[in-house]
Amino acid sequence: MSTFTNASNSTDAKNGTMTATSTEDAGRRPRLRAMTWLVWRQHRAAFWTILAAAALSVAWMVYQRGQMTDFLDGYGYPTNSLDEVGNEFQQYLNGLMTVSTGLQAIPVLLGVFLGAPLLAGDLENGTVKLIVSQSMSRTRWLATKLGVTGLVVVVSTVALSAAFGWWWNPVKSEPAVMDWTSSEAFNSTGPVLVALTLLSVFGGAAIGVVLRRTLMAMVVTFGFTMVVQLVWAHFLLSLGNVVTVTTHKGVLAENAAPSLPNSAHQLDQSYLTGSGDLVSWSACADAQTDQALKLCLKKADVVGWSVDYLPMSQMNGMQWFGASIVFALTAGVVAFLFFWCRKRLV
Amino acid sequence: MSDGMYAGEPALEAYGLGMRYRRGWALRDCSFRLPAGRICGLVGPNGAGKTTLLSIAAHLLKPTHGSISLFGEAPGSAESSRRTAFLAQEKPLFRRFTVAETLRLGRELNPGWDQRAAEDIVRAGNVPFDAKISTLSGGQRTRVALALAFGKRPELLLLDEPMSDLDPVVRHEIMGTLLSEAAERGTTVLMSTHVLAELENVCDYLVVVSGGGVRLAGDVDELMSLHTMVTGTRDDEGLPAALGHHTLVECRTSERQLTALIRPEGPVTGPWETDAPNMEELLLAYLRSPDAPPLITATAQGQGQAFGTGTVAA
Repeated sequence: MSTFTNASNSTDAKNGTMTATSTEDAGRRPRLRAMTWLVWRQHRAAFWTILAAAALSVAWMVYQRGQMTDFLDGYGYPTNSLDEVGNEFQQYLNGLMTVSTGLQAIPVLLGVFLGAPLLAGDLENGTVKLIVSQSMSRTRWLATKLGVTGLVVVVSTVALSAAFGWWWNPVKSEPAVMDWTSSEAFNSTGPVLVALTLLSVFGGAAIGVVLRRTLMAMVVTFGFTMVVQLVWAHFLLSLGNVVTVTTHKGVLAENAAPSLPNSAHQLDQSYLTGSGDLVSWSACADAQTDQALKLCLKKADVVGWSVDYLPMSQMNGMQWFGASIVFALTAGVVAFLFFWCRKRLV
Repeated sequence: MSDGMYAGEPALEAYGLGMRYRRGWALRDCSFRLPAGRICGLVGPNGAGKTTLLSIAAHLLKPTHGSISLFGEAPGSAESSRRTAFLAQEKPLFRRFTVAETLRLGRELNPGWDQRAAEDIVRAGNVPFDAKISTLSGGQRTRVALALAFGKRPELLLLDEPMSDLDPVVRHEIMGTLLSEAAERGTTVLMSTHVLAELENVCDYLVVVSGGGVRLAGDVDELMSLHTMVTGTRDDEGLPAALGHHTLVECRTSERQLTALIRPEGPVTGPWETDAPNMEELLLAYLRSPDAPPLITATAQGQGQAFGTGTVAA
C-alpha cells in the first residue's frame, strides 16, 4: 500500500497531482492524465484488442506480400503475363481475398462491439452520473471519449488499409486478381475503410445514447452498419465521372468494339445511330439470321458502339470523394452527440 | 434576509422549481433555501420528487420550470460542479475498476482532490485497495462511493438515499463517518431519505417534500418549537372550537382520545395536555396530511420569496 501512503494530502491541486504522479509506476511509460486516463482505463480491453489485432494483421499482410512478390519475381512478372500462371498463384490470391473480406467486416464489428456500448454502457450502468458529478465538464468527457476512440479506430484502420493497399499494389492492374470497383478492393484501400469504420462506430455511439441499453444498441447498430454497407455499395459507381467512348466502324466487324484502357470498369454498352442517338444493343437480338440482323441494324441506322466506363485512374479520386461524404456524415453524428450531451445527458 | 446566524451565501436555493414529465408533475413550484454548513434531511414518501430535486441540483436533469442555484451559481457551472458532490441512489461505480483505481478516478478528475481523506474513509471500513468494485459488498461499495464524494472536498454534498440498502450496523457506522467528515470540514449535506429513523440525531435542518411541493422547511429546533402536540379527551365529532384559532396540521382521533399537531398562534388554553413533538411525530404528521398548510421558516425562505400561508415570524 506504499502507493497510497505516499500520496499527497495537499489541497493545492497542482502539488497533489504531481506528487501522485511520482508515486505510481513513474517512468515505465508515458502516463495518461485525467479524462484520457479514465477513458483508456474504462475501455482498455477493447482498445488493446483492436490495436493488437490490427498489428497482427498488418504483420501477416507484410509477410504475405513478401511471399507473393517472391513468387512473382521468380515467375518473371510483369514481363510474363499472369494469364497462364495457373493454380500455383491461386494460393496467394486466396489470402488476398480472405483478408479483404475480413477488412470489410471491420466497420460492422467495431460499430457493434466498440461504438454501440461506448456511451450506452455508461447510461445503462449509471456511471455517467459518476462522471458528471466530478469537477470536469461533460463536454470534455464526451470529447475525450470520442477522441480516444476515434484515434484508436483511425490508427488501426489506416494501418490495415495501407498494408492491404501495399500488398495489392504489385497486381493492382490485373482485373483477374481483383476488379478495382469491387467492394473487396475499393473498400479496403485508401481512406474508405477509415471513413466507413468511423461512421459505423460513432453512429453506433449515437444509437446507444438514444436507446440507452447496450444490448439493444448493439443489435440496432448491426442493422445500421449493414445499411451503411449496402448504401455505400449502391452508390459506389456513382462517385466517378463516366467516360464515354464511341466508334463509327459498324458493330459487326472484328475490330469494331472500342478499346478500353486496362482495368477500366465498363458500365454500359449501346448502339450508336447516325443521328447520335443510342439504341439498346439488344434491339436486334430477335434477328434469326445474319441477313436479318444486318437489315435490322441498317433500319435502325446503327453506325457503331457507344461504351460508358470508369477508368482505373479515377479510383483514388472516387475513394476520396466518397470518403469525404462519409466523413461529413460522421461529423453530423458527432455534432448530434455533443448537442445531446448539452441538452439531455441522464 | 438579515438573519445574522446565517450570514453569507446559502448553499442551495430553489426558486419555483418544477419538473414535468409526460406522466405528470414530479416536482411543482418548489422553493426553499438551505443555509451553508447544515446537515439537511430531505424527507418525503416514495415518488415525492426527492430524486428529481437532487438530480436537478446535480445537473443531471434540467428543470422544466423555475431554477436552482448552488452557492449562487447555476448547476453545471465550473464553479458549482467543483464545489458540489453528488452520490446517486444506485451508487454507480465502474465495476471492473479496483478500489485504488476508483480513487485515482477522483484524483484525475478533481483539482482539489484529497487523497488522504478518501483513503481514510476506505481504510476505516477495512476495504482492500486492490479489490475489484464488483467483488465488494453493498456496504463496502457505499463506503467507496462516499470516499469518492468526500475526496473531492465538496462544500455541498448531495446524497440520494445513501443508506437505503445497508444493514443497521453498517448504516450506523457509515453515518458516523459521514457526520464526522462533514463536521470536520463544515460541509453542507442534503440527504434524501424516507427512513425517518435515519434522521434523528443526524440532521439539524429539514425539508419535507410531498405531492411534488415543499411542505415543511427549516431548522429542526425551530420547527420543533413552532409545533405543539395536543392530547385530550374527545367529546364530539370534529375539531374542538378551542383549538380553532391555531393552525392545525393533523388531527387524529381514537375512541375517546384526540391527538392533534398544531402550530399554536397564541397560548393553548383548555383541558389539553401539551407536549413538544419529536421529529418522527412531526414528520409523520406532515407526510400524512398533504393538505396541511406548508411551513417554510425564515431561514429556509429564498430572497424575496413571499409565502402568504407559510411565513412565520421567527
